[in-house]
Amino acid sequence: MAKIPELKSQYIWLVALILFLIPAVNPLGAPFAMSDVTVKIYDLMQSLPEKSIVVMGGASVFAFDIESSPGMIACLKQMAARHLRLVTFPLGTEAAQYHKFCIDAARVDQKYGGPWKYGVDYVLLPYTPGGSAALISFLKSVEATVTLDINGVPINQLPLMRDFHSYKDIAVWMCPHWGFIDIIRYATGECGVISVSFAQSAAYATFSPYMMAYPGKVYMTNGYVGGAQYERLVGIKGLGHKVVDSYSLISVLIPALIILGNITMIVRMKEEEVEAKE
Amino acid sequence: MSATVTYIRTYLAQAVIIVGCLAMLIGYFLVSPEAGRVADELNIWNMNVGTFTLFVGIITIFMRYGRSIINRDPNWLFHLYCLVVIALWVPFGTLTGVYSDLYQTLYLNTKITLHITIIGEMIFFCVSAMYRTFRIKSFRTFVLAFLAALMIVFNAPWLTTPFPQVGDAAYWLLNNPQMAAARAMVICGGIGGIILGIRILLGLEKGALRITGG
Repeated sequence: MAKIPELKSQYIWLVALILFLIPAVNPLGAPFAMSDVTVKIYDLMQSLPEKSIVVMGGASVFAFDIESSPGMIACLKQMAARHLRLVTFPLGTEAAQYHKFCIDAARVDQKYGGPWKYGVDYVLLPYTPGGSAALISFLKSVEATVTLDINGVPINQLPLMRDFHSYKDIAVWMCPHWGFIDIIRYATGECGVISVSFAQSAAYATFSPYMMAYPGKVYMTNGYVGGAQYERLVGIKGLGHKVVDSYSLISVLIPALIILGNITMIVRMKEEEVEAKE
Repeated sequence: MSATVTYIRTYLAQAVIIVGCLAMLIGYFLVSPEAGRVADELNIWNMNVGTFTLFVGIITIFMRYGRSIINRDPNWLFHLYCLVVIALWVPFGTLTGVYSDLYQTLYLNTKITLHITIIGEMIFFCVSAMYRTFRIKSFRTFVLAFLAALMIVFNAPWLTTPFPQVGDAAYWLLNNPQMAAARAMVICGGIGGIILGIRILLGLEKGALRITGG
């Protein structure tokens, strides 16, 4: 019987690398289906009255939260087009930079030709330590929790912040971070604020009980595919669309490797049986 | 460690935790303006302590790595590199502002890019692990491998697009059998948190309060 050579990790990595490079060099435009939840989030944002205040806040690690960025960036574009207003509230040290990254990438500020003016349509608040304590305090009283924006300007001098005092003024809380549970517990559970997360795929599986526990109050998209779905609804092709190509190819490779690994194992077991008999 | 210091560390920490915990519980469950004000004040203290821990972190890194560099411990060059980078970033952030466009550009193109690369490397290990780990040697490994492959295939856009029912099936699996297990873990975690809190309040969780000096 012909021996199956040992498949080294390096060979597998090389194949995976090639599969990643193909869509990077030549986008395939792989099709993907739409999710009902993603459509509900889109419709929710469309239904908000003009000038409604949306908070983008939470905490996690920037590099992980990149998976949430396609949906968040598309949503920011939608919010700007709908004349909604945004306040960011970072609860992690890197969340502040991440919020700024999303807004810059969405090109919604007037300096990029967008409709939003800083201080009037959106405000960036600085990182506030304290985790859930800071969140509770912020929901109760914005002024008691944060006094300055990221530029050191007192928030009472910003037109938008004059309309924003507590959770009662929040229409939707967007959480493009892993740390969605605190937002659900306090913003939704305690204060009744609708919360939305452009969740990472692993986070979706972990947090789905919370979405079921608060029907019509908690919404999540699922990973990069969810981001791509939101991009399609908004009418843009961003990072989500690019990643779907890679995801399609890798999702062929992984089951193939599982099958190959098992064939290899069965063949080896038979070889060992033959050798044992001899 | 002297007995006095141990005594202070033990009982002062316990007293702070008990006062803070009771104040938060009273503020949460009782509709009392006074209790609410105490809880609000403690929330602000909590945030201040959180800010202070950032300084503690920097001081601790400098003490540990500084000692390592002086003693030429293994990897001391990496520790030196870390301290130099911190020494550059802190004044830079203070001067330009940590939210300035310049700081943001440098931050994205150094730390974040490297971090994303490190996380991205995991997919290569995962793909390789699929070949080696999911080998069906028993019924349990069959269930594990089958469900893993099923979720990957059922979420694959090349299958869900021509057959949307497959996507519905994937969400059904996520939102029902998977969620049942996830909910059990969440409930167990919540109960565990309550028990841990009671143990801390009763002084049984000694390691957390450093009574043992650990």
